[in-house]
Amino acid sequence: MNTKDIKDTIKLSRIKQNIKFFVLITILISCESEKKIDFNAQIKPIINKKCISCHGGVKKTAGFSLLFEKEALANTDEGSPAIIPGDSKNSRLIQRLHETDLELRMPYHKPKLSESEIELFTEWIDQGANWGTHWAYIPLKIKKIPELNTNIFSEKFFNNTIDKFIAVKMLEKNLSPNPESKKNILARKVSFDITGLPPDKKLFELFIENKIDYETYVDSLFSRDYYGEKWASWWLDLARYSDSKGYETDRGRNIWEYRDWVIKSLNKDLPFDEFTIQQIAGDLLPNASYDQLLATAFHRNTMNNDEGGTNDEEYRVAAVIDRVNTTFDVWQSTTMGCVQCHDHPYDPIRHKEYYQLMSFFNNTRDEDLMGESPNLRSYSKKVETKINKVLEFISEKTDKQTLNIYSNFFKYLEPKYALHNSIVLNSENGFISGETLNLRNKGIAVYKNINTRGFENLYFKHGGGRKNTKLIFRKNSPDGNVIASINLNQNKYWFYGKNNSYFKIKIKKELKPFDLYIEAINRDLYTNNSVSYDYKDLAAQIDWISFLPNIPVSNTTELMKLDRDINTILNTPKNLTPIMVENEDFMKRKTYLFDRGNWLNKKEEVNPQVPSILNKWDLEWEKNRLGFSKWIISKENPLTARTLVNRVWYQIFGKGLVSSIEDMGTQSDPPSHPALIDWLAFNFMNDMNWSLKSLIKKIVLSSTYKQSSNIDENKFKLDPNNLYYSWGPKLRLSAESIRDQALFVSGLLSPKKYGPGVMPPQPDGVWEHPYLGNLWKESKGEDKHRRAIYTYLKRTSPYPSFISFDASSREICLVRRLPSNTPLQALVTMNDPVYTEAAFHLAKSSKAESIESSIKKMYKSAVYKEIEPKILNNLKSLYRIAQQEFEEDNLKLDNFFDLGNKIDIKLASLAIVANAIMNLDEFLTHG
Amino acid sequence: MDDIKKLHNEFKKTNARFNTRRHFLKDCTLGLGGIALGSFLNSCSTKNISFNYNADRSLNPLAPIAPPFSPKVKSVIYLHMVGAPSQLELFDYKPELEKLHNKPCPESLITGKQFAFIEGIPNMLGPQATFSREGESGNWISNHIPHFKNIVDEVTFLKAVHTDQFNHGPAQLLMHTGSPRLGRPSIGSWVTYGLGSESNDLPGFIVLTSGGTPDGGKSLWGNGFLPSIYQGVQCRSKGDPVLYLKNPKGVSQELKKNIIGSINQINYNEYEKFNDPEVLTRISQYEMAFRMQSSVPEVMNINDEPQYIRDMYGVQPGKESFANNCLLARKMVEKGVRFVQLYDWGWDSHGNGEAESLRKGFLRKCKDSDRPIAALILDLKQRGLLDETLVVWGGEFGRTPMWENRAGVQNTLVGRDHQGEAFTMWMAGGGLKKGYVHGKTDEIGYRGIEGRVSVYDIQATILHLLGFDHKQFTYDFQGRPFRLTDVEGQVIRPILA
Repeated sequence: MNTKDIKDTIKLSRIKQNIKFFVLITILISCESEKKIDFNAQIKPIINKKCISCHGGVKKTAGFSLLFEKEALANTDEGSPAIIPGDSKNSRLIQRLHETDLELRMPYHKPKLSESEIELFTEWIDQGANWGTHWAYIPLKIKKIPELNTNIFSEKFFNNTIDKFIAVKMLEKNLSPNPESKKNILARKVSFDITGLPPDKKLFELFIENKIDYETYVDSLFSRDYYGEKWASWWLDLARYSDSKGYETDRGRNIWEYRDWVIKSLNKDLPFDEFTIQQIAGDLLPNASYDQLLATAFHRNTMNNDEGGTNDEEYRVAAVIDRVNTTFDVWQSTTMGCVQCHDHPYDPIRHKEYYQLMSFFNNTRDEDLMGESPNLRSYSKKVETKINKVLEFISEKTDKQTLNIYSNFFKYLEPKYALHNSIVLNSENGFISGETLNLRNKGIAVYKNINTRGFENLYFKHGGGRKNTKLIFRKNSPDGNVIASINLNQNKYWFYGKNNSYFKIKIKKELKPFDLYIEAINRDLYTNNSVSYDYKDLAAQIDWISFLPNIPVSNTTELMKLDRDINTILNTPKNLTPIMVENEDFMKRKTYLFDRGNWLNKKEEVNPQVPSILNKWDLEWEKNRLGFSKWIISKENPLTARTLVNRVWYQIFGKGLVSSIEDMGTQSDPPSHPALIDWLAFNFMNDMNWSLKSLIKKIVLSSTYKQSSNIDENKFKLDPNNLYYSWGPKLRLSAESIRDQALFVSGLLSPKKYGPGVMPPQPDGVWEHPYLGNLWKESKGEDKHRRAIYTYLKRTSPYPSFISFDASSREICLVRRLPSNTPLQALVTMNDPVYTEAAFHLAKSSKAESIESSIKKMYKSAVYKEIEPKILNNLKSLYRIAQQEFEEDNLKLDNFFDLGNKIDIKLASLAIVANAIMNLDEFLTHG
Repeated sequence: MDDIKKLHNEFKKTNARFNTRRHFLKDCTLGLGGIALGSFLNSCSTKNISFNYNADRSLNPLAPIAPPFSPKVKSVIYLHMVGAPSQLELFDYKPELEKLHNKPCPESLITGKQFAFIEGIPNMLGPQATFSREGESGNWISNHIPHFKNIVDEVTFLKAVHTDQFNHGPAQLLMHTGSPRLGRPSIGSWVTYGLGSESNDLPGFIVLTSGGTPDGGKSLWGNGFLPSIYQGVQCRSKGDPVLYLKNPKGVSQELKKNIIGSINQINYNEYEKFNDPEVLTRISQYEMAFRMQSSVPEVMNINDEPQYIRDMYGVQPGKESFANNCLLARKMVEKGVRFVQLYDWGWDSHGNGEAESLRKGFLRKCKDSDRPIAALILDLKQRGLLDETLVVWGGEFGRTPMWENRAGVQNTLVGRDHQGEAFTMWMAGGGLKKGYVHGKTDEIGYRGIEGRVSVYDIQATILHLLGFDHKQFTYDFQGRPFRLTDVEGQVIRPILA
């Protein structure tokens, strides 16, 4: 017995004084492994449950908090610490737990802790009150693979390492695995898990007839672009992707290129670390490519508010906050929302750390503008060529910096000053609406603190104006020095923007920041207007101004050509996608701590920093979003890989290895298989090199996954939630798969990929707005039958059947869809025209000699099984009932299923049977 | 075994005699059954119970559960006047404001304040209504709502409600979900989640709109992070009252019964083979869907109400009208629907267009809603339902005592801007004082000076009346417990009977 043990023993003897010393030693020796209290496993859960709500990050009653070690051991309001390590007797914490006076006893006005809980606390303090690190905050290391006697179940169970981890736990719980699923069921299940669709018949047959093995079958599923289309749904829930802005009238947003980027990146298996960096900080990568810029649209999926009277800054701040929270929800399984207003209630993250994180995200150009700028501009081939020529010209004439400025300006029109930030000096002569400054005759506005960086080209964008308007730009006062002016007397250059929304004016070189005054003069127009927000008599509508460096030219012809070319470039983008663009230093924003989360109550200024509980910052990293993204995907970051592995596991098994898949903090559920999650996470970063396909493949090749989903009654009693995986997963298909499958088995599914969201038929009146009217323009042709991922998603009115099947309306990041089972779902799959049309086509394509073989064929096409006699008889009798009804009333066949034609009795009756088949549990679920 | 069989046969006979599905359903242990299944499922088969899971909720997530505390009311009808009606023309009588009419607003009232549209110095706007004391309570009522005097002694006024949101969407979201941002469950979802539904063949949470969809959109009755079965089901006046309720062309309800019978029988075989309890839930949901196909159109049909009732509400059959919706709300509550939410659009009286002026559009809204609201209260009362129902009336905020001057220029028509600082709401029904006034605003109705209550206080009070402590009624999401009232809210005790 060493000295420490003796010390422990002595301490313990204080509590159990009546127990003889000798006996105690014997006990201690015999259960040596149990005597050391594990803070995380034994103490922290009690603290979180019983103490933290009063002594944590929100409330620190009596100046005592158990959130951080430092606080717990610090002096409380009573002037001394409540915990004295090594001395439970004099620790007030313990005294208060024993207290008989109910006013003093803790937990306050709550039931007393149990004897064993108090004993744990006491022993823990006596052992030195050692604070432990929560398991999920410990960096990942190589995990030993458990050694198992391969004979315990059947050798066949160990297909890969996952199974060994699973087997260990199963053994502990006296469970044994189910046999492998039947081949046809497995083939269908894995096809849904990889591609979101049933397998195509050819591939299916190859596998069933043993012409290819399971792994080849799986690889071949991965090689289809259907894979990216399926897994993108999962990622887009996290990214809160939608085709509309969210607030108020919920106008459309053009951001589908980002959705396509996700699909393509998944299909080419872009490693998850790069996938991460590009989405968080693609714009900051050196020489960022179009795709890398596009990836940053991830964080432009925040909601915008275009409503009149809303404060753009308020909603910009809301978007930045959402970016911080979403980043931590997506990559760190950490609820940052809490820390916005106070220290985290139970995870050791400080209030201030939230705003330090926020400052990483608080320096982008977007400002809750109606036009969503900055937007990434794509161009036609022709314009692209023009751009290259112009840039070539610029590089010949000037320096690299100028070239860079123009190149970026053509990509996303930044940096610029948006005039919603200007102030109108005479309200009867002008107003700001949305992002536009509207000036009448003699209207004047000021934009404070403009920095031209000495550039002599002033560009502005207008939304139209009247002929003969003169715009005057002055310095520092309404009648200050004129630095530029322009007479807009040519109709063709000044007519509601269409093909010419940009003007260039030469200004004098201004080296210092100044206040810019903008005045419009047009004597043809009335000066005053008593009706506010009246668009009559507007002399000029200006959206923004920007300053670009001069490009020296040799002659006027050259200048005119250059201006003309730039004008063409500015006016003819093919498509626009909102992206993240960082403020340059001269526009940099400061970040402050918001008192109790209120953006109007700014406190101290903060700088970018990551929470101290997590991995250390590498000084090599840039102190901006790019550095931050490197911090996220650092192999030292304990949460990124664990989070990802847990979430992918959830997608396949319907539950996480940590069942609270949103949260891995100290309040989260303990992992069911701690060693497995760590092993998988470590492997994912190293052996698999962040490959998502490899990870999914690893899982679906395991015997754990391949087990049949039959639920054995005894196993159910032992483990009703199948926490230990002694039977295989069987999940209801996702909203997208439900629809895709119906279209697929009936042969209607369009293989068309990518592009703007489509609007398949939906009932009239679903999508309406008091002052925007119905804007659901039904798609034509094959666009009616595209995969669900391409359906236009309006946040306030998503496609109704998807919502019935638990899809997200994508307002905020959604980690987990809650599977539900409701009558509205039954109404969708029985009555929604999409599904009746599919049933009809399934029946039509399954027509055969006899009714019996038609039914057999339909059933097999739908569920990939041979029909059982019982089911066949059931469906045959349904067929006869339908047939009889249609014979009695032939009129029912006119415009049957609203398909426009009269249909023969046989086909109609088969369609009824198909409708029933497409509502079977085995059709709506997999496994 | 034999006993059960006997009992079951007995039950079947009784069932046949009454020939109602409801009897059968109510009394069957597992809530399973219905005609489509009765023939083969042995509806109360003991096999189902051998698995030890929470039978009630897993088969029927809407199975009614008793709240933790004794409730005062069973159901809620919430009348939301979308756009925010002017309290100064309805209930909050301010004679002082009349004296200030058309005079410039003192700067002290507007410095540092944020308005949706007012800029610079607006003028004050006197009450655009005459007021009289009505009922035994003698509470002030505007001449625009003459029918209201018949119910003035039934309601409790909250005259100093405040909100920190001054735009429609966020303010409506705050009112109905406890957060101005999207993504939280609505109060109706919370209530249905907590209490389930008393109705076997109607959704537990129904939404009826008139005039258009409110600014906050469908998120106002969304389930947020609660399971989707608790989301509000919008019953529409045109087309299918519930989406996809109608059978496809060529399919009769009789044939639908057989289709569902077939589906459920095959699913039941599946259950017997794989023992997956989810399959049983699916069976019961298909049953419910079938019942809804007849019960929803039934409840949505106002033509079978007697003429005097229809006159009392002033219904307009075949149209989307607030009056129709009030009558529907009563019918639904009568059938056991837990939460009926009405939205009536068009109360945003800025004065920048006739429909939005206090002298035109606003008067029409008053006229269209006054009769049905009074009728609803009286009708509930005469049926003895008012004691077990809570009726809530209000907008998302109130309106300023100033005449709106959009962008600094007085609007040509008479109107008021948004005001969150003080506005009036009222409640009526079980557990509340009658003819009572709580809260008071200053002389011009600009600020609450007594009995101020927040949006969260109202939510806490509604939950209290339903038998919940709003602080304990939580749901774990993203690793933390969420509640409707976030970290705020106090029950408004003074208004409780």
